[in-house]
Amino acid sequence: MKKLLSAIKNLVVGLFTTGKHLGRHAVTVQYPTEKWTMPERSRGIVVLLSDKETGELNCTVCMLCMRACPTAAIDIQYDKDEKGKRILKDFVVDHGLCCFCGLCEEACNFAALKMATKYEFSTLNKEDLVWHTDKLQEVGRDVPYEKPERKKPEAKAAAKPAVKAEAPTEPPKDTATAETAVNPGKPSEELKPLTEENKENPGEGN
Amino acid sequence: MEIAGIFKYLYEKLASTGLSQAWVDIISYSVAALIVFGFLAVVALFLVWWERKISAHIQQRFGPMRTGWHGWLQTIVDMLKLIQKEDITPATADRPVFYWAPIVAFVAAFMAYVTIPFGAGLIVSDLNIGILYIIAITTFTIISLLMAGWGSNNKYALLGGMRSAAQVVSYEVPMVLAILSVVLFAGSLSMVQIVESQAKIYQWYIFRLPFGPIAFIIYLIAGTAESNRTPFDLPEAEQELVAGFNVEYSGMKFAMFFFAEFVNMFTIAAIGTTLFLGGWQGPWLPSWVWFMLKTLALVFVLMWFRWTFPRLRVDQLMEFSWKFLLPVSFANLIIAGWMKYSKWFNW
Amino acid sequence: MSAPFRTEEFLVNMGPHHPSTHGVCRFLLTMDGEVVVKAVPYIGYLHRALERICENRTYHQCLPVLDRFEYCTSMSCEYAFCLATEKLAGIQAPERAEYLRVIMLELNRIASHLIWYGTTSLDLGAVTPFLYGFREREDILDLFEMTCGQRLTYNYIRIGGVSRDIPPEFIPKLKEFIEKFPRKVDDYEKLLTENPIWIVRNKNVGILSKELALGYGVSGPALRASGVKFDLRRDDPYSLYDRFEFDIPTGTVGDCYDRYLVRMEEMRQSLRIVKQALEQLPAGDIKTKLPPNFKPPKGEVYSRIENSRGEMGIYIQSAGDSKKPLRVKMRGGSYNQLQVMPEIVKGGKIADLVAVMASMDIIMPEVDR
Repeated sequence: MKKLLSAIKNLVVGLFTTGKHLGRHAVTVQYPTEKWTMPERSRGIVVLLSDKETGELNCTVCMLCMRACPTAAIDIQYDKDEKGKRILKDFVVDHGLCCFCGLCEEACNFAALKMATKYEFSTLNKEDLVWHTDKLQEVGRDVPYEKPERKKPEAKAAAKPAVKAEAPTEPPKDTATAETAVNPGKPSEELKPLTEENKENPGEGN
Repeated sequence: MEIAGIFKYLYEKLASTGLSQAWVDIISYSVAALIVFGFLAVVALFLVWWERKISAHIQQRFGPMRTGWHGWLQTIVDMLKLIQKEDITPATADRPVFYWAPIVAFVAAFMAYVTIPFGAGLIVSDLNIGILYIIAITTFTIISLLMAGWGSNNKYALLGGMRSAAQVVSYEVPMVLAILSVVLFAGSLSMVQIVESQAKIYQWYIFRLPFGPIAFIIYLIAGTAESNRTPFDLPEAEQELVAGFNVEYSGMKFAMFFFAEFVNMFTIAAIGTTLFLGGWQGPWLPSWVWFMLKTLALVFVLMWFRWTFPRLRVDQLMEFSWKFLLPVSFANLIIAGWMKYSKWFNW
Repeated sequence: MSAPFRTEEFLVNMGPHHPSTHGVCRFLLTMDGEVVVKAVPYIGYLHRALERICENRTYHQCLPVLDRFEYCTSMSCEYAFCLATEKLAGIQAPERAEYLRVIMLELNRIASHLIWYGTTSLDLGAVTPFLYGFREREDILDLFEMTCGQRLTYNYIRIGGVSRDIPPEFIPKLKEFIEKFPRKVDDYEKLLTENPIWIVRNKNVGILSKELALGYGVSGPALRASGVKFDLRRDDPYSLYDRFEFDIPTGTVGDCYDRYLVRMEEMRQSLRIVKQALEQLPAGDIKTKLPPNFKPPKGEVYSRIENSRGEMGIYIQSAGDSKKPLRVKMRGGSYNQLQVMPEIVKGGKIADLVAVMASMDIIMPEVDR
């Protein structure tokens, strides 16, 4: 009998718990008409960033993003001018392959590409997910970003010949190996850090 | 605001046109059937929407919002969609059985409304065995579920059909015993007389201590089981049997099952109102408004159950019915009988 | 006298597309009416060759792949891999990074248990708790998204630290969550714990004895519910778990109800750890810098952590001269829990099978890899 009463009591408690929620406001949003504001760090589609004044791409065709990509979603095609400097021919991102890990963004030292907070890009065709330079640049026009301070003409000029001198004609994969063949266990100072943010806000929010 | 008068007036008009009595009866009953059917169609559509809204609000969602004000057109749109869908019959199905199952479910669900009094005088036919008729008719639903389960030639569907047969048969017994205690008190099987016997609020059978509330709770539990709703929704237990008996149904046939389910729920609530909550009786408002208010309140309780409780297992379901509900309802019937024939409680 | 009533057993394919098989698990059931005579799990529907994929990626590139290993607790997959790599290369992550890792791991454990809470109740027919569980999970995912940019595949914990520091608005939001979450757990418990229907569905259903659990290598909450007080966070402490105070809830019988209670209590304990970690959180660096072509020395390592589904282990073999691991092997708790299921569902009803599968909290990507 006692068991029965406690059973009934607990059923009623359950009913009241759901009843309590009946009058509360919904926690969901009506998606297409009402949208969530994405956090600043949210990783959506990959876009190419352009210089705010000149409108030119920030990309220097250093190929770091392409190498960082775990799914080979980025494909960069380039020409070389007479000095051996790379000129971007086509920057292709296959968003169908992209796994949105953000490694390309972290690999980039020139704020050339970013994972924007945009996310609505579904298509009916798989081919339409392959974006080329012009579309990537167009979508990335209004994406805010901070230019890294190190991006100066002198620094670029200084960095570039070093790479070129090492292996001007070889594929980029080997240049990086040659450049950074140091003791792997130790963190090395002169190498590019994987993230820019590490430097900018250490200990923030503490 | 009493609309029973309108019908009486129309009936008299029809009778005075000089038609023979047989024709007058045929016409008036057909019209009444059509009105009840239309009314129930609207009610079922409304209940589907209401259930979705209640579940949404309990779960802090919005539910349907796009079609009309708070999505009130949603069910109509869904129905239109289901009508357009291809009607698939599995290759190995038992065709006639598969075909007739939703129709039986549909018809059985609507036939109960012949003897339900929607208001003072608003009853299609006041049979003197009204409640017995309803019990007999609602049991028809099992046959349709069994037919659907068998005809689909699908193991999940068959399991669902078997479960529903076992479940409805076992819950029929305590339900009838609970109803019997009311009948015992009212001294009549006629629905109208049962309602008239609870004219004052203290005469409602739910307030007749001690047997009333117990009978009501037994009725509610058994009714939930009869209409296959959580926590007794085993025939269509999604997580075990995918969709149970209606797993192979699509399009309009599925819609008919769906419709029948909600009409059945309304039936359970309507009978509960009639037997325990004084039917159409109530002050100030017209009788049919009272009836609807009470019935919808009961429907809300059923929905509330559904969105709160987990589901019982099939053997526990049987145990609960035969080992708990049945003895309690027998004891309750004895108490009711004793109360009826002792002078003190018989108000 | 005629022959006794003849019955026939029949086969039911439960899954791979079944509402309650949690992904693409398939059970071939031999049924005698409603009773399960024999259950054989078939796996492999979600096999993506993750181990092989990892062997073709550099250590950094492995992490997004690891996210897909067990996507309900991506953080711990990443962490298990990073722990193994750090052990191999002898790297020590900065203290702040370790604290952030612990906070994220425990929040992720809560998120994973909330999924379990929701799906379990859904499997047993209660729909509303499912939505409640996911409501609070969204709060946790918001915290993750604000920190690392993604809600499911975080790629947050990196070799030698974490990818980003927490944003300034993280801590107030986390404090708000810590403040409100215990009340929400009480709500969950009110809905199910004492509910008589819930009790009859779970008590003495799918009893996993201590011997059977140990014999099959079951770990995590399922093992603890069987009465073995084994938690890697305490017994083989990694990260900073020796600095925090927390209890390890255990069950006595090892039935579904015990597993339910253990997990509910674990959510509270995880929250306790988060609270302590937040109080102790130091300032400082969040990452040990590594070269992009990071090559660990030659060797092999196995590291294991306590995931929300049991012991999650990563074995890495490194050739020493490559940026890519030579061999990666992943171990997930779900695999053992799935394999023990046929033993404990035998003779039960089909509904018991659903209850056991729900309480074991099996997730198929972890089984199939």
